[in-house]
Amino acid sequence: MAMVTDKQSIQPPRAFSRVDLAVAGLLAAFIYALVTVAHEWTAPLQQVPEIHLEVRFLPLYTLFSLSRGVIAYGVSFFFTMVYGYTMARVAGAEKVMLPVLDILQSIPVLGFLPGFVLGLVHLFPNQNIGLEIASVLMIFTGQVWNMTFSFYSSLKSVPPELTAVARLSRMSWWERFFQLDLSFSATGLLWNSMMSMAGGWFFLMVSEAFVLGEHDFRLPGLGSFMSLAIERGDGRAQLLGVLAMLGMIVFVDQVVWRPLVAWSPKFTDEESNNTSNSWIWERLRRSRILRVASQSWKFLRRRHGHAVVPPPKQSEAPSAKAIKVRRWTSRLLISALGVVILFGFVRYVQLLWLLTNGDWFGLFQSTAATFLRVVTAVALASLWTIPVGVMIGRHPRWSHVLQPIIQMAASFPAPMIFPVVVGSMLAFGIGLKISSVMLLLLGTQWYILFNVIAGSSAIPRELWEVSRLSRFSWWQRWKQLILPAIFPSLLTGWITAMGGAWNASIVAEYMKFRGEVLSTTGLGAAISQATERGQFHILAAAVGIMAVAVVSFNRLVWRPLSHRAQTRFTLET
Amino acid sequence: MTTPLLEIQNVFQSFPGAGGGSVEILHDISLEIREHEVVAIMGPSGCGKSTLLRAIIGLEPPTSGQILYRGKVQTGLNPSTALVFQNFALFPWLTVQENVSVGLSHLPLTTIEREKRVAEVIDAVGLGGSEEAYPKELSGGMKQRVGLARALAVQPEILCMDEPFSALDVLTSETLRNEVIDIYTNKTSPVNTILMVTHSISEGVFMATRLVVMGAHPGIIRAVFDNPLPYPRDEHHPDFIALIDKLHALITQAALPTELAAVEGGGAGKLPIQSIPIISLSSVIGLLEVLENEGSLEFFELSRQVHVELHQLLLVVKAGELFGWVTTPGGRVDMTAEGRAFLAADINARKQLFNVTLRRLFIFDLIVQALIKSARNEVDETVILKQLTQLFPHERPQRILQTVVAWARYAELFKFNGLRRVFHGLEKPAASVLSHK
Repeated sequence: MAMVTDKQSIQPPRAFSRVDLAVAGLLAAFIYALVTVAHEWTAPLQQVPEIHLEVRFLPLYTLFSLSRGVIAYGVSFFFTMVYGYTMARVAGAEKVMLPVLDILQSIPVLGFLPGFVLGLVHLFPNQNIGLEIASVLMIFTGQVWNMTFSFYSSLKSVPPELTAVARLSRMSWWERFFQLDLSFSATGLLWNSMMSMAGGWFFLMVSEAFVLGEHDFRLPGLGSFMSLAIERGDGRAQLLGVLAMLGMIVFVDQVVWRPLVAWSPKFTDEESNNTSNSWIWERLRRSRILRVASQSWKFLRRRHGHAVVPPPKQSEAPSAKAIKVRRWTSRLLISALGVVILFGFVRYVQLLWLLTNGDWFGLFQSTAATFLRVVTAVALASLWTIPVGVMIGRHPRWSHVLQPIIQMAASFPAPMIFPVVVGSMLAFGIGLKISSVMLLLLGTQWYILFNVIAGSSAIPRELWEVSRLSRFSWWQRWKQLILPAIFPSLLTGWITAMGGAWNASIVAEYMKFRGEVLSTTGLGAAISQATERGQFHILAAAVGIMAVAVVSFNRLVWRPLSHRAQTRFTLET
Repeated sequence: MTTPLLEIQNVFQSFPGAGGGSVEILHDISLEIREHEVVAIMGPSGCGKSTLLRAIIGLEPPTSGQILYRGKVQTGLNPSTALVFQNFALFPWLTVQENVSVGLSHLPLTTIEREKRVAEVIDAVGLGGSEEAYPKELSGGMKQRVGLARALAVQPEILCMDEPFSALDVLTSETLRNEVIDIYTNKTSPVNTILMVTHSISEGVFMATRLVVMGAHPGIIRAVFDNPLPYPRDEHHPDFIALIDKLHALITQAALPTELAAVEGGGAGKLPIQSIPIISLSSVIGLLEVLENEGSLEFFELSRQVHVELHQLLLVVKAGELFGWVTTPGGRVDMTAEGRAFLAADINARKQLFNVTLRRLFIFDLIVQALIKSARNEVDETVILKQLTQLFPHERPQRILQTVVAWARYAELFKFNGLRRVFHGLEKPAASVLSHK
């Protein structure tokens, strides 16, 4: 990357600025953190390691949780690249892989838990690493899906003329991947990565501390710290945990996401008036270290380039045989995948045979209860987010100020403040049956708010002016202008919020609180309970029901609605 | 005689169309391109001129037929070509310099050579100083200079350009046209042949040494002309104007055959199976407005007055002829009594007149009959689309349908529900003005 700013700056760069020192310090800290994490990972496996509720352990726990989140993000990124690319570019793959992804996305984190934990603990019976990997994979399942969807849809919309240029320039597969596919998807991937990190934190407490049958698994980390604090009803520790979590979120936001967002307009076509400012990026781009790094990178590439590239083969059209081979390999792969899926399905059905009629009846009752809660939570959330979101979106200055705050609030894992809500509602004599709706609301309202803001800020000013000139009444303005205009984005918000609410019911309908177990009838409670008691057949059935509920609601309600939204209510002509 | 640079032999190209069928874009194209030529491929939209260019480069291999480069059958991309795109096709995340060197990475060059070459072409197209700019910082003209530099960097023997100036404003495209000619006439430049696609006749005559005129539905080569005018060309020179007139006459004559009138009398009861020009009704009414005073205009005079691209104007005139509002005897456009009556009418009377007119047209009659036959007074879009695909295999049925809907809505002949995508009749089926017995 060329450092354009070097030419513009009038002052000669100092030998070392404070930023350089900071960067160097960060590097040292990073190396130390790596060593510490590695140490923890190779520690002998303890079923219930001691979790301390003292302040001095908190920084280390936060580091552990952060590193799990970062590693999980790395896995998510890798998965996204492989799965998204295959889905978009291998002929025929899309037909299978897209529905599979849709179903995977609807499976709650506890659905993956027993498989991950039992399998990996089996694999590493004497070391913590199995449990660590299981924990990372659970965080991964909270992060990955929207990134994969985003990458896939970006790949699908790469402009054909850029593809033509890539072909004419005989770009190698790697060059094409980096210069075209990845660069084109960069902006979407970035925004979805931010959402993904937040999604991963949501189930942090579950991912680090859980009971599976007679085993109590705990890993040192912020999540297990919080769940212990909640279990014991230790208010001071809870507050500390919340502060540590907030600190971590702010840290990641300032050090990673803000700089990346400030850098990302490079990948868009329009000259942006993006005012997103990042102090780190501002300093970094002037810093000597980055300049040296970018120059040495260029130097390395040049050195590499000195070697004369062998002339390319004349014909680049694959031979008929190669096409045949490729087609057969992809067929083979798809059928292998099919066999694995079929095998899993058969085993799953076998597991379901163990359920009694009573079990099924209970599960369906729970499903109905949770469904009602989910719908109520989304409706309640809409009640306040729609008016507020429209207001914020309408005034750019407000959204400029409020957007970062809302983003931060949204990425804070709501389960960590559930005890406060539940506690205060209990004081008014309201049980978990009702208060769990509040908890679902806390977890999912942000998705709706974000989307309403985006929708309302996209309403052209002329339309607001027309509504004023035509003397629209208050009601007319909502009916004729605002609701239709925000409808497509509101719908996106609803879909995400509803899927999220189903998953959040796992932690909202069942919790350990001040030494006792609070629970209410619901599918989420059923899943949590089955996990704790090690009743895998019930767990399998409940997770299956939840996946079916989410997917069929998406197909039967949301999809027709979004089709309608796209054909009727889009603002661009 | 030496072997030509490129030989295009009996090239056919079809793409899958709506409803499982295929649309034939190119029909039996044969053409030779020799060294030291600027060949302009011209024709109306949808004649497959871009498709032909892509087949020559090797981006889309033809369905059948072959393309020879210096006597050898060409498979895959032709390494001696480079392409300049209509909408520039620059990578937004790469600087000017990086965009230009994109095409060089596969060539056996050392880094020093590569950098030198990039610097040279950037200077040659007048981008010196902007090496580190990103495309979004540049104006349209500068962007296309980057596109040109990227193509020139590979030192192509054949420089291909797909409507390279049509996304630019008039003055900028004028400048760039001259610069491209300078590159071609410059003895030191490696470009020895230019192959360009354009829809503008004057652009073709200004730049090309040979003009290839294509016709649409399906794309065929209608005529090939030599253009011996010396560079630099003067647009006001009588020879230049004469050549443009010659091309106009050719295209007009091909597009407006005079036998159309004969069909009307011939078919008693049966309507002639005929497609419709894809054109908005208001431009046809606009044509009547222009003709109102004189009543009749020479076609060239008309095209000069209205500043509309010739191919577009031809479509408008064809539509007017279809409606019976104008006739075109021998290069003139005459307004008919029917046209005058329509123009004089008020909006409601116009709708009635147009309603009668549309019922005489095959496609509209097809839909009206289908509606009469249907029990619920409704016909699904797909039914009509399928029939259109069968009847007019060289045209895009979706675009015909859009025009049909727009005209029918004006005439209040039948309605179309854009959400459910069905045609439906009016509430009370208007008594058939013309009986179809």
